[in-house]
Amino acid sequence: MLPYNWMMAVAILLPVVAAVLVYIIRQYHARGVIVILAAIALIVNSILFLLHGKDTFSPANAQMWDMVVTVLDYLILLFYIYVGISLKNWLVLIFALTQIIPLAWFEFGMGGRAALANVSPTFVVDHLAIVMCLVISIVGSLICVFAIRYMYDHEHHLHLEKSRASRFLFWMVLFLGAMNGLVFANNLIYLYFFWEVTTLICFQLIAHDLTKEAIDNAARALWMNSIGGTALIIAMVILFAKGAPLSLDGILSGGVASAVLLLPVALLCFTGMIKAAQLPFQSWLLGAMVAPTPVSALLHSSTMVKAGVYLVLRLAPAYAGTRLSIMIALVGAFTFMAASGLAISQTTGKRVLAYSTIANLGLIIACAGINTPLAITAAILLIIFHAVSKGLLFLCAGTIEHIIWSREIEDMEGLAAKAPLVTVIFAIGVLSMFLPPFGMLLGKWMALESASTIPLAAWLFVIASAATIVFWAKWLGRFLQVLPKLGAKIESLSLSYTVPLWLLVLGIFGVGIGVASVYTGLVQNAVADVVTSGQALAVQGWGLTVNGYSAVSSTANFAVGNYPVWPLFIVFAIAVLIPFIFVAIKPGELRPVYLCGEQAGGTDTDEWYSTADVKTKVQLGGYYFQGVLGEAALNPWTYTLSIVLMVIMFAVALLAMGGAL
Amino acid sequence: MNAWIIAIVTVIVAPFIGGFLAGIDRRITARLQGRFGPPILQPFYDFFKLLGKSKIAASRLQLMWIYAYLVLMITALLFLVLRLDILLMMFILGFAGVCFALGGFSSKSPYSHLGANRELMQMLAYEPVLLLLALGVYAQNGSFLISQIYASPTPLISRLWPIFIALLVILTIKLRKSPFDLATSHHAHQELIKGIMTEYSGPYYALIELTEWYEIVLLLGIVSLFVANPLWVGIVIALAAYLLELFVDNVTARMTVGWMVRFVWAVGITLCILNLIWFWVFAAIKGVS
Repeated sequence: MLPYNWMMAVAILLPVVAAVLVYIIRQYHARGVIVILAAIALIVNSILFLLHGKDTFSPANAQMWDMVVTVLDYLILLFYIYVGISLKNWLVLIFALTQIIPLAWFEFGMGGRAALANVSPTFVVDHLAIVMCLVISIVGSLICVFAIRYMYDHEHHLHLEKSRASRFLFWMVLFLGAMNGLVFANNLIYLYFFWEVTTLICFQLIAHDLTKEAIDNAARALWMNSIGGTALIIAMVILFAKGAPLSLDGILSGGVASAVLLLPVALLCFTGMIKAAQLPFQSWLLGAMVAPTPVSALLHSSTMVKAGVYLVLRLAPAYAGTRLSIMIALVGAFTFMAASGLAISQTTGKRVLAYSTIANLGLIIACAGINTPLAITAAILLIIFHAVSKGLLFLCAGTIEHIIWSREIEDMEGLAAKAPLVTVIFAIGVLSMFLPPFGMLLGKWMALESASTIPLAAWLFVIASAATIVFWAKWLGRFLQVLPKLGAKIESLSLSYTVPLWLLVLGIFGVGIGVASVYTGLVQNAVADVVTSGQALAVQGWGLTVNGYSAVSSTANFAVGNYPVWPLFIVFAIAVLIPFIFVAIKPGELRPVYLCGEQAGGTDTDEWYSTADVKTKVQLGGYYFQGVLGEAALNPWTYTLSIVLMVIMFAVALLAMGGAL
Repeated sequence: MNAWIIAIVTVIVAPFIGGFLAGIDRRITARLQGRFGPPILQPFYDFFKLLGKSKIAASRLQLMWIYAYLVLMITALLFLVLRLDILLMMFILGFAGVCFALGGFSSKSPYSHLGANRELMQMLAYEPVLLLLALGVYAQNGSFLISQIYASPTPLISRLWPIFIALLVILTIKLRKSPFDLATSHHAHQELIKGIMTEYSGPYYALIELTEWYEIVLLLGIVSLFVANPLWVGIVIALAAYLLELFVDNVTARMTVGWMVRFVWAVGITLCILNLIWFWVFAAIKGVS
């Protein structure tokens, strides 16, 4: 096995090297090979981390690395100032200044730098971090492989004179290293640094196409996440002023944070919530959808936004049992509900995916807020399942975009006939998002079974669940509206598309069927990193059982719930695969649809005789309910309520602090 | 081994009960409308006649989804009789509904498209109530397992009667009765034709009939859970609820989709949540004292 410092280097520094190589080498195939090799190295390395288990790490020449981090921190912030001035975007400028001034004052004026240098260890790689590392390295790498060919087609379609794909892949590959660093970081200044690097890469990649819309939306993502960065710095300042350690394990070492420290904890959670695009900060993620689709898959669904929920989850022990915990649950649950409702009204595929992502991140944050062993287990399982399923769906959306050159749901009508392969993969992705036996539903089921301590959150979950059914089913439904024909030709796609797609499909079934092993081998330990009291889930036979842990009857010794995993997969196989294989239909058995006897021809046409016997094409339109559920109708409410929830969240932390002083 | 026998017996017997209830439905409805009505066994005659018809379809896709619809409906019923997790049962029932809607989407048929969209709106209306029902069961029993409902000496209805009323509203939607026979209807409606089922015929249509019979048994089974001890009282209540649905069907006119969603959310969900709030407050008081 590799020495541990080498493993850390591969996780964080290898992507940097690979990114530089990708940037220099501008030949399509050579570049592709480097990305693939880096992907393999990262995947193997993440498995080594899993085998190695929990550990800590401080770099050998710490002073040098501290200096590097400091210099890069200020360079990044100076770049934000430059962006703010050159784009004349005052919000970017203001929130860059609110970071750089307090940071400089804190590090050099207050003497925070010495305190930060004393933090040991620099990195803590516990099981929760390993879960994140696996997600980043495996799903993230597959998305980077997908991007190789995607960017080629993307630029071909745009008729670019000079390829900018090198620049694109540079940021994508670099991002993997930054994410690994972020989840391993223990020292708050390292956390802040990697946090800022992901924000920077997010800005660069959203702006990649350099259209006005892309630059505007990139700037919005930048200033919103800069608010998060500012909150992180303020949290550091308060921690330092109160004499608390400037590291995550330091904050968490004493169990529930003392009332004085609840405010910095709330600020750190707030930083995470902005990164996870929780309401009212959802607009940056929606705007980010203008970026090429691999960006959305990598940053805005599978990994970067997960950093936000990761931080909230990481801090769960510090706010366990406090009112802050309840407020975090409500912010998440409200986001889950509102974003699911808004998704119904979206006519663009990627925006549906974006809202669904925001909603699921809300669910995970709500689970962290519920803060029972079962809820934490649900949260960690959801992080894994969501990364795989949503990564797949975004890659599908990208592939579809390159088949029909549109992102509109209405243009996807009848795609089952035009692109049967992608339709099947897309259908698996969609079903895996909200239906049994797949993992996301398992997570949601566990979330609901754990939510009894915060009933309001449970009710919001319930309404969100219903909305989830509607927006997924009606979108998938548009794919299926085909003429009565047999033997659709399977589309041919580049391996760079199909290999990541099929591997992710395999992943969905792998983690779904093997959820018991995923739980015992991986998630159980990660849960123990967050909550120590009791083990909520037990593997029993072919399924999972929720133990008799209940707020209602403390004497309960019976199981609370039961989820028969394998029987459900067998049912799924019977329900979907057997008809798929065995339902034979002969061409002569097909008939055109019923059009009141006015059908103008046989099965090959969808025309009918309208007024004055004019041949008219049947036109179907999806339902979007924009009058009731559209952004214009709902946003005044969602913004008001979510801002109120955030304000109460801080009020709760401030009151606790005030009460303690 | 015992579970296997229960499962097999359920799969075989349930359609007979469902078909028989459907026959009673047609007879009573006819009498309420001043007609004589068909024999009680008419649904079975229809079923076998449909099986003998030639196979005709509008696409291959739509057939896949209705097989899934049948299999998942049976699975949900098995969850009930094997007394497993009620929350998960609701999700499986939801999956069955999704499959049916996707079957409706799987052809370029305007009537089927309209019906499928309305089916989804119906799900938007009833799904929260079914899930809140499961939360109510947990609030009372401290467990989501149906076996605990049977083990508990207190019947659900004694504390969950508001949720029970909401369930009756949902039953009207699920049984496709007026005023909520929106996605498809047992009676002819000109603008709807047969809604989501328009494009099914012959043996495939028989498959949907069969699924509906399973569904009737499942839904009445859920109603009977409210008085699980002794079970016969629960069954009587379930049959009474079924009769009530028939009367409601015949004395009301069909409403619009928007009205349905608003009504169910305003009445059904509110009832459920008030019920759960009561539990919460009750638990809080008990905790203090």
